[in-house]
Amino acid sequence: MSILAPAPPSAATASAPRTLPRRRGGEPASVLATLVLLLGAAYCLLPVLWVVVASTKSGGELFSTFTFAPSTHLLENVSDLNAYRDGLFWRWMANTALYAGVGALLSTVVSAMAGFGLAKYRFGGKKAIFNMLLAGVLVPGVVLAIPQYLLLAQIGMTNTYWAVLLPQIISPYGIYLARIYAAASVPDEIVEAGRTDGAGEGRIFRTLALPMMLPGLVTVFLFQFVAIWNNFMLPYIMLGDDKLYPLTVGLSGLLNQGASQPALYTLVITGALLSIIPLIALFLTLQRYWQVDLAAGAVKA
Amino acid sequence: MTATQDAPTTTATSRRTTAGRDGRRTAPYFFLAPAIVLFVVFLALPIAYAVYLSFRTEQVSGLGLGSGARTQVWTGFTNYAQALTDPEFLASVGRVALYGVIVVPTMLGLALIFALMLDSRRSRARGFSRISIFLPYAVPAVISSLLWGFLYLPDVSPFYYVFDRLGWDVPSLFSSNLVIFAVANIAVWGGVGFNMVVIYTSLKAIPTELYEAARLDGCSETRIAWRIKIPIVTPSIIMTFVFSMIATLQVFAEPTTLKPLSNTISSTWTPLMKVYRDAFIRGDLYSAAATSVIIAVATFALSFGFLHLVQSRAFGQEK
Amino acid sequence: MRLHTGFKLASTIAVTALLATACSGGEASTTGEDDQSAAGPVDLTFWTWAPNMENVVEIWNDENPDIQVTVNKQDGGDPAVTKLLTAIQAGSGAPDIMQAEYQKIPTLVSSDALADIADDVDDVDPSIAEGFPEGVWNAVTLGSDAVYAVPQDSGPMEFYYRADVFEELGLDVPTTWDEYADVARAVQEADPEKYLGTFSATDAGWFTGLAQQAGASWWGIDGDAWSVSIDSEPTRRVAEYWGGLVEEGVIDNKPMYTPEWNAALNDGSQIGWLSAVWAPGVLQGNAPDTAGLWEMAPMPQWDSAAPATGNWGGSAVAVTTQSEHPAQAAEFISWLNTSQEAVDALVSEAGIYPAYTPAQAGALSAPPEFFSNQPDFYELAGEIAQTAGSFTYGPNVNVAYSAYNDEFGRAAEARSQSEFLQAVESMQSVTFDDLESSGFNVTE
Repeated sequence: MSILAPAPPSAATASAPRTLPRRRGGEPASVLATLVLLLGAAYCLLPVLWVVVASTKSGGELFSTFTFAPSTHLLENVSDLNAYRDGLFWRWMANTALYAGVGALLSTVVSAMAGFGLAKYRFGGKKAIFNMLLAGVLVPGVVLAIPQYLLLAQIGMTNTYWAVLLPQIISPYGIYLARIYAAASVPDEIVEAGRTDGAGEGRIFRTLALPMMLPGLVTVFLFQFVAIWNNFMLPYIMLGDDKLYPLTVGLSGLLNQGASQPALYTLVITGALLSIIPLIALFLTLQRYWQVDLAAGAVKA
Repeated sequence: MTATQDAPTTTATSRRTTAGRDGRRTAPYFFLAPAIVLFVVFLALPIAYAVYLSFRTEQVSGLGLGSGARTQVWTGFTNYAQALTDPEFLASVGRVALYGVIVVPTMLGLALIFALMLDSRRSRARGFSRISIFLPYAVPAVISSLLWGFLYLPDVSPFYYVFDRLGWDVPSLFSSNLVIFAVANIAVWGGVGFNMVVIYTSLKAIPTELYEAARLDGCSETRIAWRIKIPIVTPSIIMTFVFSMIATLQVFAEPTTLKPLSNTISSTWTPLMKVYRDAFIRGDLYSAAATSVIIAVATFALSFGFLHLVQSRAFGQEK
Repeated sequence: MRLHTGFKLASTIAVTALLATACSGGEASTTGEDDQSAAGPVDLTFWTWAPNMENVVEIWNDENPDIQVTVNKQDGGDPAVTKLLTAIQAGSGAPDIMQAEYQKIPTLVSSDALADIADDVDDVDPSIAEGFPEGVWNAVTLGSDAVYAVPQDSGPMEFYYRADVFEELGLDVPTTWDEYADVARAVQEADPEKYLGTFSATDAGWFTGLAQQAGASWWGIDGDAWSVSIDSEPTRRVAEYWGGLVEEGVIDNKPMYTPEWNAALNDGSQIGWLSAVWAPGVLQGNAPDTAGLWEMAPMPQWDSAAPATGNWGGSAVAVTTQSEHPAQAAEFISWLNTSQEAVDALVSEAGIYPAYTPAQAGALSAPPEFFSNQPDFYELAGEIAQTAGSFTYGPNVNVAYSAYNDEFGRAAEARSQSEFLQAVESMQSVTFDDLESSGFNVTE
């Protein structure tokens, strides 16, 4: 097992050396392969480059100068954005960080528990429960938003932080991944050994399984973080108070108002640029955790 | 799992064993409780409520002004019948099918090519390319559609600027024949990086020994990719296929954001846009709920086969 | 309820309601103040999308420590109504005060979202109705004794054009639609890159204004039934006219309010805009470098002997049925829209064209900054505003407008005059069928 177990998203995999030492430049470089990658990178970076350039333009220049001709108004735009309704943008940024950070953390805990439970125990209704949880992926967010709103309104929780936070803790996708990680990275022998030592099931989970699943759980956290960060529909429906808005709703509001006040376009574009910077930072610092094995078990087979 | 039936090891006292067994029996439910409670409250109940609404409708009396002019009544399958016979809805289904045929193979094909190139020992600039291709995943659909919208509109687009200079007469991407590609491109752009990472992860999980031998036998990299790598990552590709298909059926944000930029995207361009129009623009929650249920059932029917297949493979080994 | 009885009486004369009687309920004017002192400090929330509205509200908050208003900025007219209706359906979550475009008011009233504040407004100022143009006041009463909102701004339509380009090309400002068509052809002939204007299939309110100018009123109340007359002579005339210009290719068919359209305003490839009195703000934001080059003129006319215009945009401020302090809310919205102090601030901060006539002169003494080359801008605008025809909105404007987007989008893309006429028919049937299937009393 130890040879073939992929230990899916772990740092171990990422740094696991291929058995043959890889000498830099030892293999002849393939121009074609490199070119394909660079073309892909160019395709993906082009619109991002556009945001960077556009955010340096003043409102008039945005529509009058060549698209990729940079200008010098970046700082002005940032300070305009900063001044917009007493720095509301930063409040949106903080809100988004709160929704995504706390939401993803809670989601990861819930997913880890559920994934561990599903992977390491045999119990009545297991298959049914798993299928039911997984079916949650199939229901579009647009469809859920209104009933969720109407139900939360019954207990007066709409237009609060909770209204955005709570519904996003449950992540069928996260549970699915956590189950794979638990199955692949927590050996049954270790669980048994824990029991033999007299540890309770909760303790086994906390002290033995959790650390083993941790690299995988970082991935679950990151994906849920991005999912919440990018979510639009739920906060859009739930919130009326713009002090509670996350970035997506706030920026799209500016964009809609931009139809009649085009000066806001530059704010939206500058805001868009600033809003992806934290995620880029997250990508770069946690690069090695960005690994998803959707079918780890199959590789094992 | 055989372990649960194993006799307790000799060091354990009998009391502890009983407690352990009880714990073991209730533990999975304890672990699953938070997920199930949240699932019921935030997914199952809203879904049930949507199903309930789909059988209801609102009747207005008289001029419909003032309080009490509207009452909710049962309406049976009327909403469903209306949705299924609505030519706009059927057209949107056809459009999404075509959209899926464009998006899913393109996106997964590109993702697979990029993943193989990343895994190839002969390519360069791997780190840069990997992070660059993954980057669009960080851009919310609302924002990415805005960016591409700017790049599409002939009068502000750098591409059309270049075409113009070259004297080419390229039709607007927002013309009725091409707009579906304009929307598809945004989806491919946003999704290719994620799928690339999924496939790349499973490529990295392949023990190198598997193809070192082939390599020593003189197999080309291409041959290794076709004969060894692709068959092994097929399960991952199937899973990305299922998730991409689900996402395709739910396409909404991109066309909605592009809609005001053109004449060619109607308010019922995709099934979910129709749901949105009915619920939010027409205020008819009931038709919207019926259409949602139809979409969810169709998604389920389509993906169930794949999920079932993959699930039995993915978890077949687990005790 | 007084609404129903009052409504039936008034409905037969819906379009030309007798305004003076609508607000003549002479109740003691002390009740509002009593409520206020008894309730102590009151917090009100206000959903609006008007730029800088928070600065205007600030003035009120400073002067009225007992009634504090908090602005919640909304995305715009449509999303705000969507959210309000969802909150009404849910039974909680609505604000106290809501900005609403005139065409949304019947929909909101029909969903029981707006409180009747006739008595509360009356307490503040019994003669408030007299300060508003008839058509505008009618839009907030729906021709009944009830008052569902206090009008804030209106958008009489005008013709904006690049005076410098007109001069360069030797063109005269068109005063009739025939002349407009000729000028459109001349512009294209002089420079195929330039257009006199565009037909925008994404701006239903714009087309409604054009139809209103031609004499259309798309909904009506006939006894206790609604009527829908979108497919009527005036609307067909407008659709045929624009369909012809688009088919001929002398008018652009791209939507307004896109980055592309913005660019076209900047680089002078759109040299005219049929817009409303709030246009200077948009032009300034869009094409700041063209300051001083634009001028405003009355709309081209169908009948020069009887000049007319339509309205594009404009909104009122209402109190929702979920507000626990309707009297205080009504006091605030009366102040906001009729006091000189607030109207001045609205003009300078939000750039609106106030609907309340007595406050106009004071607030609109100077032309908009962007039109400093046209010192009599607001005098002219005031004259034009007098010629606005009346127009009745129905309870499913949203359905009609979304049908407009889809049907005219198709027609404009096809550049076909016959499809423009077909689109009018489709709008009519979609709108009528929706009313009928919802259970409204409706007559053809």
